[in-house]
Order: sequence, then structure tokens, then C-alpha cells
Amino acid sequence: MDFVRRYLLNRLWQSVVTLILATIVVFAGVRALPGDPALALAGEDRDPESLRAIRQQYGLDQSWIVQFWQFVSHAVRGDLGQSIRTGEPVRTMITGALPVTIELSVLAILIASLIGVGAGVVAAVRRGRPAEWAANALALLGLSVPNFWLGLMAILYLSVALGLFPASGFVPFFTNPAANLHHLILPAVILGTGLAAVIMRQTRSSMLDALSADYIRTAEAKGLPPKAVIGKHALRNSLIVVITIVGLQLGALISGAVVTERIFALPGFGKLTVDAVFQRDYPVIQAVVLVTATAYIVINLLVDLLYSVIDPRIRVRGDA
Amino acid sequence: MTRRLPFLLNRSSRSSRRAMVAGTVTGVIALALAGTACSPVEPAGNDGDGATQSAGDQDVFGDPADPAQVKQGGTLTVALSADPDKLDPSLSRSLYSRYVFHTMCEKLYDLGPDAKVVPQLATALPKISADGLSLTIPLKQGVKFADGGTLDSNAVKVSINRGLTIAGSGRKSELGPITSIETPDPNTVVIKLSKPFAPLTAALADRAGMVLSPAAVAKLGANFSTAPVCVGPFKFASRVAQNSIKVVKDPLYYDAAKVHLDAIEYRIITDSSIRSANLKSGDAQIADSLSTQDAPQLQKDTTMTVLQSQSLGYQGLTVNVANANGVGNPLKQLETPIAKDPRVRQALALSIDREALVKSIFNGLNTVACSPISPKSEFTSDAAQVCPPHDPAKAKQLLADAGVPTPYKVSMITSNNPDSLRLAQALQAMVKDGGFELEIKPVEYASLLDQQDRGDFELLQLGWSGRVDPDANIYNFVGSEGSQNVAGYSNPEVDKLLTDARQATDQAQRIKLYGDVVTKLQQGDALIYMYRQRNLTGVSKKVLGVRTYPDGVIRTAFAGFAK
Repeated sequence: MDFVRRYLLNRLWQSVVTLILATIVVFAGVRALPGDPALALAGEDRDPESLRAIRQQYGLDQSWIVQFWQFVSHAVRGDLGQSIRTGEPVRTMITGALPVTIELSVLAILIASLIGVGAGVVAAVRRGRPAEWAANALALLGLSVPNFWLGLMAILYLSVALGLFPASGFVPFFTNPAANLHHLILPAVILGTGLAAVIMRQTRSSMLDALSADYIRTAEAKGLPPKAVIGKHALRNSLIVVITIVGLQLGALISGAVVTERIFALPGFGKLTVDAVFQRDYPVIQAVVLVTATAYIVINLLVDLLYSVIDPRIRVRGDA
Repeated sequence: MTRRLPFLLNRSSRSSRRAMVAGTVTGVIALALAGTACSPVEPAGNDGDGATQSAGDQDVFGDPADPAQVKQGGTLTVALSADPDKLDPSLSRSLYSRYVFHTMCEKLYDLGPDAKVVPQLATALPKISADGLSLTIPLKQGVKFADGGTLDSNAVKVSINRGLTIAGSGRKSELGPITSIETPDPNTVVIKLSKPFAPLTAALADRAGMVLSPAAVAKLGANFSTAPVCVGPFKFASRVAQNSIKVVKDPLYYDAAKVHLDAIEYRIITDSSIRSANLKSGDAQIADSLSTQDAPQLQKDTTMTVLQSQSLGYQGLTVNVANANGVGNPLKQLETPIAKDPRVRQALALSIDREALVKSIFNGLNTVACSPISPKSEFTSDAAQVCPPHDPAKAKQLLADAGVPTPYKVSMITSNNPDSLRLAQALQAMVKDGGFELEIKPVEYASLLDQQDRGDFELLQLGWSGRVDPDANIYNFVGSEGSQNVAGYSNPEVDKLLTDARQATDQAQRIKLYGDVVTKLQQGDALIYMYRQRNLTGVSKKVLGVRTYPDGVIRTAFAGFAK
């Protein structure tokens, strides 16, 4: 157990260092951009006196070191500051936006998995037939078409022409679950398109591997019906790889949410981040990155620890 | 599962996961930062759009709702092109916050469709003393704030004083040389000035004239924007960061019988195509700042109306003449030919075919502008509307006279949104005939503001959304002491004319003085005015009573859904 403790401490230490580095990089990065919050806030209605006053009010006239210390010392106490543009507490903004993006991402993964796995299985089982070509073509399309264009087309055809889905807006799940899903289904499909394509290709390739394996031949020889061979044996084993791919794509999915949230006017985390950058809203940008980095580090740490618990073959070393 | 776990657990997969984490964090940041190159924080005016039909100079302001045709209740959704900033009349600086304020923060004065100032919370226009140093404002009686407090002269005093003193105030310069505010009785406010300041009445018809609940100001202080309380047909209900703002009907409003809607939701949709799509799908009933691409289609749609009002502002080209040290710092003449020689600037102005520009880029809907004074302004005159003709041959001659070899290369920074880029490309092609080689440097909006304030440009394409009083459209931009004199222009004659116009109390005299200012400005050409935008607002015919005026604010407070 000694090396486990050592490993844990080492990982915790690494996580803290990563977090500090991420904070410093973003802190310096946003300040390296031309313009500042005062300028973005004042817009066309600005004069040197009010710019000075705004900079003074938000401590932007202080040195970077002082500003960084103020940010960090407040952040460790859970105070992420106030948005310079709207005056709202950043914590409220983040806690409001995060659930939207999480729900959108989860829905997108579900939809992408359903489409991707289904199409992948069909492509593998119907190899060399039109069904495979169609699935491959769809996958190629899903990977190639940008979300922005797809979203716009979906709004034009499914919202404007057919009136099937709302083109914008959001209703919280606990206010009205049906309306919530109605608003999120289209953005989730758009967001999941790229992922569905990746999953389809991975499922197809894993399924092809599995279908040529000995145990499948044995299962078939035993007289199992094809549905059971494919569903119970081949697909089940192929899904392990697919799940890994989904995990690896999670980051790309959240990045994709930035675009999707803007198209469908969803009050999510991605939209919050991008708008904050446009408006040079330093406290919001810093807090968003801090929260994102913390989430990734914690998840990463937990997953690594979980692996060592699940499989004793993993050599957990203090320097791992 | 466990059988395959080793696959998941080898070192390379762990490092790839780490790479994924790092990649994603940097990806999100990079995406966000890269996004800065995509669209502006807040476009000047209506992001360069204008457009539609051959409506020419025709304004369509909309009509008041006929109560017999409007049903009670419902939530109106307005698709806004940009997120308003702080919902605090003393601090707010964004045009879009005015859209929201108009429903929940009434002002001492308002604008009529003819751009003239009319009383709102006041009962009459201010009585100005003979020396111009005192304004007496009579107030409406029996008016309640949304929190139940009563509007009186003290509330007005608190609000104006707040605008003058709060840190980061956006109102201080608009309120001018106020020395004190007196409250002889609860229904009368007397504003004392150290010198006459004619633009004050118009300022009181904007955010400077909004009256805040003193109780809310005392309670919230600088955080007033988190729960603003004023007098209005609606009151603040909620705000979702970067996404939406909701106001609900205020039963305490003095004219509540005229309010038909239960609530108004402002939904922020920055992309103009998506705004139009939301309008067509019925998810929004109103969309502001329609683009030239979308407006013609909407005009053909029998279920839609497109409201149009010509802006009081302008779009132009600013030449950096002497802004070498940054705006607000001592001027230093730049040594480039275009900065040094007015003939080169005149040549550039003569190279621009404004008519063609307006027709080709804006489908003829925006209008040609050669001065900062709109023909719709009550301060217009023949002198203010003189427009030098397009004359590339004369432009070349002027360049030759100035000893500048052609093609003369100049660089221009411009906002990187598609409409600004189209305009820049058209200009590039146009000024070639006049002997200029225009290099376009697209910049993201906040960076553009930074560069122009630092004086890091040769030519700059940007505009001004416009105010009612001409002083607010001219002084700050071309006055030597102007807070936004990014050209570094300094002309004592122009300064004197502008100061005289500020202090003149006679309208005819002010009109004459502003005409003279335009004449002088056209000789200096540090700011080459090009066109005036048209505010285009799409409105579903399911909604009645939506109006827009020349100040660009969409008035929805007394609208309602058709029966």
C-alpha cells in the first residue's frame, strides 16, 4: 500500500502543478490579446477618463503579479469574481452554464453511439454491399461537414420549413423535461454527428476483427443464431474499443459544443467561454479555464486510480 | 471487460489520455481565442448591414397597436444581435442595453418618430433660463417604481448624481457641466450648469435621463445591474449569462392598461442568418439588425414586416493625422503624405463613389453620407448635406499636385466581419481609379478599438451609431479635446464652432454653426464620411405595435399579439 500512497501523492502534486501552469498560461494568454475588458466594455462610447475608471475599478491598472495573486487568492476561497461586462457573479454564470453543456454532451454521446454503433454493425455484417457503402459515405459526410453549416441547414429545414424543432432557446430539465428534450434534441444530433462517424468507423473495424476471430467461428459452429453471434459475442467485444474511443472524443465533443451552443443560442459553457473571450471578460475566461482544467485533472486522476483498482496487472509506480 | 483492460492501461494509452486532456484544454482555449478573429463584440451600428428592396429613403417606423386588435398576455421573444452589457443606466454603454431599458427604465424625455425630444417622465420640455445655466423640469405625479416607491424630484437627483459620480460612469460626459441639482418641491427638478450646455436635453432622452429607484440604489449600490429597478411598463425578471434577459409586466406602471404583453424575452443570437431563421420559424417574433442577404426575403414574406429607420450615425474612414501617442495624449503630426497633406485626403475622398458603394454593397438601402449630420436630424441644413462629387481624375490631379507618386499605397484596418470586409474590398477596387492602392487589414473588433486608440493605423473603417444631438456625433471625434479623436485632428476654427454650438441656446444659430463645421471638416477630411446605415428590424405580423425610431431602439413595450 505504500507505493499506492506514494503514487497518489505524486499524482496529486502533478495535478496541482498542472493546474497552476494552466492558470498562469491562460492568465497571461488573455492579457496578451490586444484590447482589454475596459475597451471592450466601453465599445464606441468610450473616453480616456472612463477607461481609466473602469481599469481602476477592476484592478486592471495593477501589475500582472498583483492581479494574478488577487485572482488566485479569491479562487481558492471559491470566489471567482464578477463578470466585468454584466456584473454577475462568475460562479453563478458557470453553475448555470455547466449543466446545459453536460446535458447536451451526454445526449450527443447517446445519439452518436446509437447511430454509430448501428451503422458500424451494419457496415461490418454487410461488408462489400450497398449498406456498407452507404454507411461509409455517411461516416465520411459526418466527419467532413462542419457543425456550423449542418446546424444552419437543420434550422432551415427542420425548424423553419417543417417546424419540428425549436430553432433556439432552452428550458431547464426540471422545469419541463419534455420541452427540455425538445429544445436539445436537434443541437445534440448536430453535435453528435462527427462522433457518430468516428464510432461507426471504429465499430465497423472492431466488428470485422471480431467476426474473423476463432471464438466467433466456434459460436457459429455450435449453431448459435446469427443475431446472437453478432449481438452477444462480436459486438460485445468490439464495444470495449468503441467505449475507449468515445472517452477520447469527449474533449472534441466539448469543443464542438462551443459552436453548437452559439448556433442554437443555448446558455452553455462553450458559449460562455467564447463570448467572454470576445468581450475580454478576464474573470469569466480565467474561471472557465480553471474549472475546465480542474475537471479534466480530477477525472484523469480518478480514471487512473480506477484502472489500478480494476486490474492488478497495472504496475503502479510512484513515478508513473 | 477486464479481459480487454490491459489494452486500456498501457503507458501509451495513459499518455494519450493526458495528451487528450492537455489537447482539449488547450483546444477549448485555442478555439475560444481563435474565435476572436471571427466576429465583433459589438458591431458599430448594424454590422454593416442595411439593405433590401428599392425602398430608397423611406422609413418604416411601424404603427401603434390598435387595442381592439390586440389580445392580452403572451411572451414576446426578441432575437438580439448582441448581448447587452450591465443593466445599469449609469454604467451601461451598449446600444443593446437600450433595447431592454426602454421596457423597464423610462426617462425624463423620449424621442418621437421625427427624432424630436418629447416628455416621458417629465410633463414638459425643460424650461431653460435666459443665461442657459438653469433647466427646470416638471415631473409627472403618481408614478411608482417597480418596487413600490414613488418617483419624485429626489429620485431624479439621486439618479443624475449617480451618473455624474459613480466609478466607470458612462453618463458623465453626456451630462456636461452640471454643478448642482435642486429639488424645490417633489415634482420639480432644477439642474444648474456652470456654462450653457445645449445637448443636455437630448442626453436626458437617453440613459442619462433614466430614473432609478433610490431604494434599489441604496440597497445594491454598484451591483444595481443584478436587479435593476426603475419606472417602466415591464420590470426586470431574470438574466441568463450571454444568453437571454427576461422582463415581466409591471402592475404598478402608471399606464399599465396600455401594456398588453405578460413578458418579453430578449434572446441573444449573434449570427444574422440564424436570427432570421428564428424569426421565420416563429421562435422569435422580432429580430434586429437584419442583413442585406436576409432582408429582401423577409420583405417578400407576407407574414413579416421589415421596419426601417435611417441611423443618426454614420460609417466613415478615419485618417490618422497626428495620433502618434495614443488618444488622449499630446498630438504629434505623422509624416506620411496622407497625414501631412489635406490634398491627399481630399483625393481619397474624391475617389470614393458613395452612390455606387451604397447601391452595390447595400442594395440601395443605406444612404450616402458626407457629413456627421443626418438629413433626418432637426439640425440639418443645406451646408450640412453638401456632398463632394466622385471625381477620380481630380483625385489623381491632387495627388500629383501633392507630389505623391501613384499608386499611393495606404493600409486600412477594418472589422473582420463579412459585411465590413465586403465594404473594404469594394473600397479597394474603387479608390484604385483615384491613384490609391488600398491594403486591407481585417482585425477583430476589440483589437480594432485597441489599435485605433493607440494610433496604430493609417486608415480606419469604423462608424458611429449616432445620437440625437449633433454635438454627440461630432465633438468627441473631431474636436481637439474630443475623447475619441483617434485621427488626432486639431483645427482651432472647428473647435471654436463646436464650442459655440454647444453653448448656443437658439436652435437656428446651432444649425448654422453645425453647417459651418461640416464645411470645415470637408476641407480637412480627417474623417471621410461615406454612408448612413438603415436600422432593419424584422417583425412577425402576429405582433402589432412594434416601432423603431431614428435612435435605433426597437420599441416593444406597448406591443401585443394580434387577436
